[in-house]
Amino acid sequence: METNLNKISDLINNQGNLENEKKFKIASASLVCAIVDIAQIDHKKYCPLFKEKLNLEQNEFEQIKNEIFNDALNIEDKVAYIKGELNNNMFQIMEFLKILNKFAIANGCTAKSYREFELIRDKFLREFY
Amino acid sequence: MRLKKCSILYVEDEKTTQELIKEILLSSCREVFVANDGKEGLALYKEKQPDIVLSDIAMPNIDGLEMSEEIKKLNPTQAIALFTAFSKASFLKKASELDISTYIMKPLDEEQFFNSLKYMALEIEVNKGAKSNGN
Repeated sequence: METNLNKISDLINNQGNLENEKKFKIASASLVCAIVDIAQIDHKKYCPLFKEKLNLEQNEFEQIKNEIFNDALNIEDKVAYIKGELNNNMFQIMEFLKILNKFAIANGCTAKSYREFELIRDKFLREFY
Repeated sequence: MRLKKCSILYVEDEKTTQELIKEILLSSCREVFVANDGKEGLALYKEKQPDIVLSDIAMPNIDGLEMSEEIKKLNPTQAIALFTAFSKASFLKKASELDISTYIMKPLDEEQFFNSLKYMALEIEVNKGAKSNGN
């Protein structure tokens, strides 16, 4: 099954775009950066993935990275925001989590990274378990 | 789908671990099938067609990745979880290509283990929903 932001967006509103796309991208990239070490990130591997999965160009990512650095990351807030954007729809949340999972294993992730992914995953899904 | 309604194929060659995990699974799933290696696992998969496949990686005859590859050929949306220590980049590359649902890290954290199984049960529900909607 295809997992990318356009697909999720299509599923949400059948129009192809999220209403507040940049905010959604920042929230999504923030969660990715909570999973993988942003300082150690391998741009060659991650930039194509950001582009493919989150429609995020390298220059956009660089800008967003600064915003993420300047904004003390509150994972609960980001999760709540993304869940809201996805209408708390389990199908779309699962699609979104598949994207995060791809990021988690893209660069030979560590057990620490995968645990972080699991913690975020469970914040999204606790009510559905 | 809830975990209690799921059938699980568990593939593990190490007997002590096998017994331990089997007991945990029996208390939380509808049915548990156990195989001792990938070859046996693949045969049992074809026979039982379980909802979830849970497997170790390093095993004799056919390893967990090869078995998963064969299972994915039979059923591309099959929910599969692999036990891993995340030590080999080559493993991650292949596992990523196979679209493995989740990874269970060693040493085992029981809460995370159950959450991963519940996650896969949800994935099955989502896949069934997608099929019934014609996606």
